[in-house]
Amino acid sequence: MSDRKLPRLLQTPAVLLLLVWMLVPLGMTLYFSFIRYVLNSLRRPEWTTPSLSNWRGFGNYEFVLKSKDFVLAIQNSLFIVCSILFLTVILGILIAVLINKSFPGQGIVRVLLISPFFVMPAVNAVLWINMILDPVLGLQGIAVAGINDLLEGLRQMPVLGGFFSLWPEFEPISFRATQTSAIAVIMMVTWQWTPFAVLIFMTSLQSEDQQQKEAAVLDGAGTWSQFRFLTLPHLGRPIAIVVMIQAIFHLSLYAEIEIVSRGNGNKNLPYLIGEFANNNIGAASATGIFAVILANIVAIFLLRMVGKTLME
Amino acid sequence: MAIVAQSSKFSIYGRPVLAWGVGLMFFFPIFWMVLTSFKTDADAVKPENLIFFTPTLENYLNMTENYDYWRFARNSVISAVSATIFTLFVSVPAAYAMAFNPTRATKDVLMWMLSTKMLPAAAVLYPMIFLAKGIGLYDTHILVITVLSLINLPIAVWMLFTYFKEIPKDIIEAGKMDGVNTWGEIKEILVPLAWGGIASTALLVFIFCWNEAYWTVRLTTIDAATLSKLIEGNRAPEGLFFGRLSAVSTAAVGPIVVLGWFCQKQLVQGLTFGAVK
Repeated sequence: MSDRKLPRLLQTPAVLLLLVWMLVPLGMTLYFSFIRYVLNSLRRPEWTTPSLSNWRGFGNYEFVLKSKDFVLAIQNSLFIVCSILFLTVILGILIAVLINKSFPGQGIVRVLLISPFFVMPAVNAVLWINMILDPVLGLQGIAVAGINDLLEGLRQMPVLGGFFSLWPEFEPISFRATQTSAIAVIMMVTWQWTPFAVLIFMTSLQSEDQQQKEAAVLDGAGTWSQFRFLTLPHLGRPIAIVVMIQAIFHLSLYAEIEIVSRGNGNKNLPYLIGEFANNNIGAASATGIFAVILANIVAIFLLRMVGKTLME
Repeated sequence: MAIVAQSSKFSIYGRPVLAWGVGLMFFFPIFWMVLTSFKTDADAVKPENLIFFTPTLENYLNMTENYDYWRFARNSVISAVSATIFTLFVSVPAAYAMAFNPTRATKDVLMWMLSTKMLPAAAVLYPMIFLAKGIGLYDTHILVITVLSLINLPIAVWMLFTYFKEIPKDIIEAGKMDGVNTWGEIKEILVPLAWGGIASTALLVFIFCWNEAYWTVRLTTIDAATLSKLIEGNRAPEGLFFGRLSAVSTAAVGPIVVLGWFCQKQLVQGLTFGAVK
């Protein structure tokens, strides 16, 4: 065996495993998406086993495209992912710049900050939606009730009472509702992933060219223009990394959506697939193929953007 | 001058106060969960018992007696540890091949590997269940370990590749001169040199395996169910159950958060994928 053949062969197990992992289920999904295949049917029991004789052509795809949830789910997927990316990058940069210079207890603050990243996503969701955001029993409910009680007390005051009686009662927000559940999901995922962004940006800031900065200060550059023209360009690559890794994880967000609202008006694509898969495997598979296409569009875009900088 | 004086004042007082504020704010939900886990279910929702209460271990005792916590925990340890080891066994040789003997296709192979991570799990879940039940692997450790390894393989190869790339090729070549074969190169030269990188990759893979919920919840029922399944089963939407919930949650995330604290420096280096020096 030649000098380099064996070393090169060493990557084949990894490649083969991933190839099987990708192609087999994907092939089956593709197959199921073209046949009628349901888990339970009293009227048409022959549909409950996958078979070519139940061929439906593009029927499942039409069915999915016509269902009103489909467009909603795509919009929601994109809305949730983009909001999380935007918030984590902005917050990440601000916090990284804040804690990058040394101050008493810097090490402890770092440890406190990174902790949310290690929390299991399912725990994250149950914790936030129940104990923090619940409109009655959670901290939100308790805080709103406290403020209302305080206002009620102030209204009884002799002179100023008239002023406070103009104030409205505060209403706690229910984050399980259709309009607000996406916000809750964005909030909890941002809490979990901002630490990731902060740590990557901090690592990058530590390698910033200090001499260049000092020169800029001598030239009279203010804090803002230092940040704008030196720090921000330096953070270009790390921002690309943060965006790419997070996009990979958040496009398949599921636990949070399910726990917050059971998809009530707040479905994303993975959730919609799960819903179809309760009975209609054909439709679930067709939606799955749409999700693969969407992920590929995002992937091509992201890998183009990041790939070059990663490989140098 | 005014600006300089102001900014230094900020550095002395403003920065520490603000930074501690942000740090405590981010940690607060975890602190709150741990605190609530020592309250009874009734105390946990009373405003007057928010901070002052009589601590109790009732929730933890209840959890180990009625919910069989240790079985789920044991399953989590078994699957996460085995999946991490298996992932490393496959990814270290692969990353070695790509870093020291690259071909023209190496770059594309790496990109393709990462792109398999973007394949939505939900799209292939049903075929997987179908197959798993077909071969009789549903709800077994083998299935969970295989799936966990496969979903983490791309990240592991990437991380190791970026570490290995930093090692000068000459050192590896020198081994060849001494007549060491390929396995020897990996075992005696590469692994000791890249130990830090391999350890942080292992850690990250372990954390991702431990926290994985989508596959582990859906591919198991009882025998191979991990802690994420325990959480799934304990999230009744309403009612007085905050104490119980907090105890289960604390016991599920505690080990990994503490592990993360000790290894945060290495983890951060690994997560930057070599793009940030």
